Amino acid sequence: MKLAILFILTFSTMAAEPKVIIEYKKYESFDLGNLEVKGQILAPGDLSVRERDRKVFERPLYERYEFNKESKQDIRNLR
Amino acid sequence: MRVLLTIFLMTIAMSSNAHFKLAQKEFKKSQKKKSIYIFNELFKSKYYFSALPFAAEHIIESKSISRDFENKLEILLLKTGTNSLAGMKNKDLLKHGSATLHLVYALKMFRLNKFKRAVRVAEKIPLNNKFAPEALYIAGTGRELLNDLARSEDRFNKCIKISGQFKSRANKEKLKRYYSVINESCIMHVARLYYKQKQYKKAIDTYNLIPKTSYRWPYTLIEKAWANYYIEDFNRTLGLVVTYRSPLLQSYFFPEAEVLNALSFYRLCLYDDTLTTIDQYYKVYKSRSTHLKKIIIANKDSHTYFINLAFSSLKDTETINPYIRNLITQIRKKIKFSVDLVSYKKAKNELKHLKQKRKTRFTKFLIRNVEHSIKWRTQHLNHYVKKQFFTFINDIHRFSYEMFNIKLEVMSKKRNLLYRNKELVATRSRGSHENVKRTIYQQFWNFEGSFWADELGDYSYGLKSNCQTVKVSKR
Repeated sequence: MKLAILFILTFSTMAAEPKVIIEYKKYESFDLGNLEVKGQILAPGDLSVRERDRKVFERPLYERYEFNKESKQDIRNLR
Repeated sequence: MRVLLTIFLMTIAMSSNAHFKLAQKEFKKSQKKKSIYIFNELFKSKYYFSALPFAAEHIIESKSISRDFENKLEILLLKTGTNSLAGMKNKDLLKHGSATLHLVYALKMFRLNKFKRAVRVAEKIPLNNKFAPEALYIAGTGRELLNDLARSEDRFNKCIKISGQFKSRANKEKLKRYYSVINESCIMHVARLYYKQKQYKKAIDTYNLIPKTSYRWPYTLIEKAWANYYIEDFNRTLGLVVTYRSPLLQSYFFPEAEVLNALSFYRLCLYDDTLTTIDQYYKVYKSRSTHLKKIIIANKDSHTYFINLAFSSLKDTETINPYIRNLITQIRKKIKFSVDLVSYKKAKNELKHLKQKRKTRFTKFLIRNVEHSIKWRTQHLNHYVKKQFFTFINDIHRFSYEMFNIKLEVMSKKRNLLYRNKELVATRSRGSHENVKRTIYQQFWNFEGSFWADELGDYSYGLKSNCQTVKVSKR
């Protein structure tokens, strides 16, 4: 009996999986000129750049905030 | 009259010799407290450098010092220099509460950048002491560096007041000059305090209080020029900096003044003038400093080369390198150099007299000490001169980097103008007295190509700012 059930199950499984062969397209061409996109145009049609001033970067030039070095030197030059 | 004078001098010499003999006699004994006795005798015979080790010994050994010793210590330090006792331990300098030793300690701490300690002790010196103006000057500077500006100003104002009083009471010309220098230095530091707080106009007014005859005056020009730069009176800045070109101030060459010159032209958008200043710096000053560097590096390990340079004639130094002459002139005018030089010469003279005496254990001991002192003073002076030379060369290199930065910035500005299809309103702005900012006390005179002593420091350019731009096509 057990052997009969096992035989039936094996047979039914093999019958449920048919052999599938997948074939991919080997070549396909698009005519881009004929393609159309449906929708509303929000941006202007031509390419435009808004004019703005060039960003100018400035180097930090020499500054004098105090005369500490000279003050120190003054005392050292005293005696 | 001549006979009387000879007798008088002989009496002094005999008395001096007698005191020296007494000191020698005491030296042989091995009793305690002999150091003060020997010190007193050597002091009376005016062997100040020989007396120094005995004074130091007495300060270390004794628990307290007498008023008489304190008075002698004052004179001793004036004759031999404050550095003579700076090698003593801090606790010994402080333990007696002596104003003279406090000054030595304050100066020592200041040199070690320990400003708090310097200030604390300098402020202990009583206001009636002859070193009070100097102590207030040290205290004010210490507080200035510690950014305690309000108290610093208070100390400087006290210094100005007290040094003025001491100056009017002084009977010797040399002493009057000493108090004048302290007084003017304190005024200059008050101006620096205003500058630090961005109160540039007040700073300029304070700098103007220093008379043109003062030794400090040439140094005020560049600081005043910076103050004018920050209130955007670039014409006045250029005028102050150009003062250094006058023959009278030939020896005062500051690389920083050239940078300030270039910066002022740059702020007026006179780019070609800026580039000319920078090119001149590279062509003239940089090449000369490279030559100077070669000379001094070859002698950097010598203990006598720089001191000998300082002693040689200006003509000789000029032939070596023009900057050497200028630097030597500047160094010779510094108080420290004059004071150290005087004590160095006095020490040499004392050694000569000691060597003429009969060789005993005592004289040998003194000769050894004075010789050691001279050796130390020679090296100290040599190092001082050498340091001034190297600082100058380092400044030239440091400011050469700043000049390069300005050059890059000018080139960037010029390129931006080109990109925007614009150019400056004029390629070279002409001078006009309309562009000169004046106070009601100032009058206008044209510069006729020669510097007059009374005009120095009052110059101003008359350049119009060239910072307005115009479209190239519209011109």
